[in-house]
Amino acid sequence: MANTQTTVPLFVANQVLTAAQQNLSAGTGVPVFATTVTRDAAFGGSNKALAEGQLAYIEASNIVQYYDGAAWATVGPATASALTYITGASFSAVTSVSAPASTFTSTYQNYKLFLNITSGGTDGASIQMRMRVSGTDNTSAVYFYGMNGLGANGTRYDINAATDSKFIFTYQQAGLSNSGLTLDILSPQETVSTRVGGTGFGINVGVNAISFYSGGGTFLTATSFDAFSLISSAGNFAGSYKVYGYSNS
Amino acid sequence: MQEVTRFMATATVKPKIQIGDDVREMNDAEFAQYEIDQAANKTQAKIAADKATAKQAVLDRLGITADEAALLLG
Repeated sequence: MANTQTTVPLFVANQVLTAAQQNLSAGTGVPVFATTVTRDAAFGGSNKALAEGQLAYIEASNIVQYYDGAAWATVGPATASALTYITGASFSAVTSVSAPASTFTSTYQNYKLFLNITSGGTDGASIQMRMRVSGTDNTSAVYFYGMNGLGANGTRYDINAATDSKFIFTYQQAGLSNSGLTLDILSPQETVSTRVGGTGFGINVGVNAISFYSGGGTFLTATSFDAFSLISSAGNFAGSYKVYGYSNS
Repeated sequence: MQEVTRFMATATVKPKIQIGDDVREMNDAEFAQYEIDQAANKTQAKIAADKATAKQAVLDRLGITADEAALLLG
């Protein structure tokens, strides 16, 4: 490309500068490199020594970077989206799936979770959620939740419990892909109560009527979590989950 | 051979779980919690089923449907 350069020349006393050299200096306030490899090769030796404050534009990734004295850091472009993908996975033939440790960090206060079931466990088995820290689910009886449920048949099927050892947000149907969750998770990494709210898709427990749930729950004891588990109460389930962080500002 | 057969007959196949991208069998602690959960799940499911049955029994006694009951209460 027109601005791409391969060296950052260092001129010496009494050197006669060519037009090309002058044009290079005048034309590229921020040196432009094809990749980070050509960027690194352009400094040192007979070229300018890399030092703190150096700027660079990388064509391959369309980013502006600065050197902080030890490593290159990206200036921008800033992420335009308010949601940043953190982690996710597909799963099958398991009774539970857990997000990896450090899913929740101090980078974000609030999170979005999507669970897409492609094959439900046993008919009427609940989809449960537990908060998790250092690789272990928290099974304390401090999960409080209430989900308003309405069947497509017009019948109400609410879900609620106090002092349970897990959240229940919906129920699944064996082998079908009609269940799932969209949840907002508030302050899981802070040492406060973790609050979870959103929508559950699935069936009711009992007559297997297609049902939809809306509500939330609170893990009451102030605890800092780094992940969560999603559990099929009976039978293996399959699907995928994705976690996003809400930008703090 | 007899010992191997006896071991195979008594070994418990633990459910599989996934953490991040790794799939493995439950460890002993996780399996112990799983068994506690299964007992609790059965109790919860029975309570929910009993509640649904009781609800239907009342509707039957009144001779109305759930939709009609919802109309009355709405």
